[in-house]
Amino acid sequence: MAIDVKKVSKTYIRKEENFTVLNNVDLHIEDGEFVCFLGPSGCGKTTLLRIIAGLEKADDGEVYDRGELVTGPSKERGFIFQQYSLFPWLNVLDNVMFGLKLNNKSSKAENLATAEEYLKKVGLSEFKYNYPHELSGGMKQRAAIIRSLVNHPPILLMDEPFSAVDMLNRHNLQDNLITLWKKINSTILFVTHDIDEAIYLADKIVIMDKNPGRIQEIVEVPFERPRQRESEEILKFQDKIEGKLAQWEL
Amino acid sequence: MDINKKLLPIILPAFLIIVWYILTDAFYIIPAYILPGPINVFSACWTLFASGKIMMHTTSTLIKVFLGIIIASVVAIPLGIILGWSETLDRLTSLIISILRPIPPISWIPFAILWFGIGLSSSVFVIFIGCVFSVLVYTIDGVKRTDKVLIEAAQTLGAKNWDILIKIVLPSALPYIVSGLKVGVSIALMCTVSAEMIASSKGLGYMILTASQLFQPGTVVVGMVIIGIIGILFDYIFRKAQDKIFW
Repeated sequence: MAIDVKKVSKTYIRKEENFTVLNNVDLHIEDGEFVCFLGPSGCGKTTLLRIIAGLEKADDGEVYDRGELVTGPSKERGFIFQQYSLFPWLNVLDNVMFGLKLNNKSSKAENLATAEEYLKKVGLSEFKYNYPHELSGGMKQRAAIIRSLVNHPPILLMDEPFSAVDMLNRHNLQDNLITLWKKINSTILFVTHDIDEAIYLADKIVIMDKNPGRIQEIVEVPFERPRQRESEEILKFQDKIEGKLAQWEL
Repeated sequence: MDINKKLLPIILPAFLIIVWYILTDAFYIIPAYILPGPINVFSACWTLFASGKIMMHTTSTLIKVFLGIIIASVVAIPLGIILGWSETLDRLTSLIISILRPIPPISWIPFAILWFGIGLSSSVFVIFIGCVFSVLVYTIDGVKRTDKVLIEAAQTLGAKNWDILIKIVLPSALPYIVSGLKVGVSIALMCTVSAEMIASSKGLGYMILTASQLFQPGTVVVGMVIIGIIGILFDYIFRKAQDKIFW
């Protein structure tokens, strides 16, 4: 068992009003799974991801990462943010090596080799001496993903990482991510509000409930990889998921 | 077009020098005891150069400015990082800082003389007071403006508190720190001259004051121009540094 969420609750106070974002959530995620959290903004999916990461504290309940209680952020759980999060004062190569240098386990030459290898995998070798402001949105997210992956995190948490990228680039990034994921065997938890994205990427889709802060249903995605983007089966499945989400429209 | 851009800033000063020359040395419209003419100033400049006095006073002023800024940076940058990082410490000290900050550095001169006597250290103290607060306040501001996402990104990459302070907060506050230094240096330059007029026996401020007492208006103008040039140089250096740092 990779991640175990036990009775997690979280309430925000905004303008003296209570907003329950998570209400007694239980969730189990197996090793090596690719799980998408689907729901519109404000349904608590990002908060749940941040609590799993240790970036936020739950009011109640606990999160266990492979049996250990999560008390704060750790390099065991990589996190890809929706906003661009590369360090603007470092070039791409130094950004990617940030974690390697911190953990100081390997020599400088080894770090460099690892970073170069990952840069090549996502097609950023040519841009390793460029600074983040010189990159496109898609390139920034690619660099942020490998910056996390060079640490070999057993868990990778991704919070709508491709939402700011145009569609063509988003498809490329999704394919890139699947290829990387197969090589590294991490467990990926991926938050999105895009049904197509969830169906293309996930083994399982966690659908958040309208009743605030609950999980409505967990749906298995029955398609083999590499997946089609627009086959009849997929469209049917898409309708099914949309039906489950229809309650949100009310 | 390009020549125009480069010439444009020089036109006005050149015109003013010509007007100055016409009013004074050429037609004696304004008597020399009210405003010395350019010839008077250049000859004063020449004498000061020949005797080596100008170099001595300029170096003395520059050394004080540098020492003042360096000590202020050594105190204000680490302190600013700590205060910007810890909300409790920031609240604890904010009232004191906002009370001390607007006090003109020159009003510290009596204490400077009491504590350090006449000479280098009392001037340096006044310069320190003059720029420490701007560097401190800018550093605190820069630290507070650190993008939270960058801190969280570093945490999920394995960074602990100390790494975050050194590798994230410091570089992200650096542009603000440089702005603070830039403001600090211009204040420091003003303080130096005032401090030297009272609590020193060397430096451009001292040179200006003694020249005015000995009725040498040419020397006074030379001192003023040199201070202006030092100001431009510092401004240039910091602008270059900012170009490199602002990403």
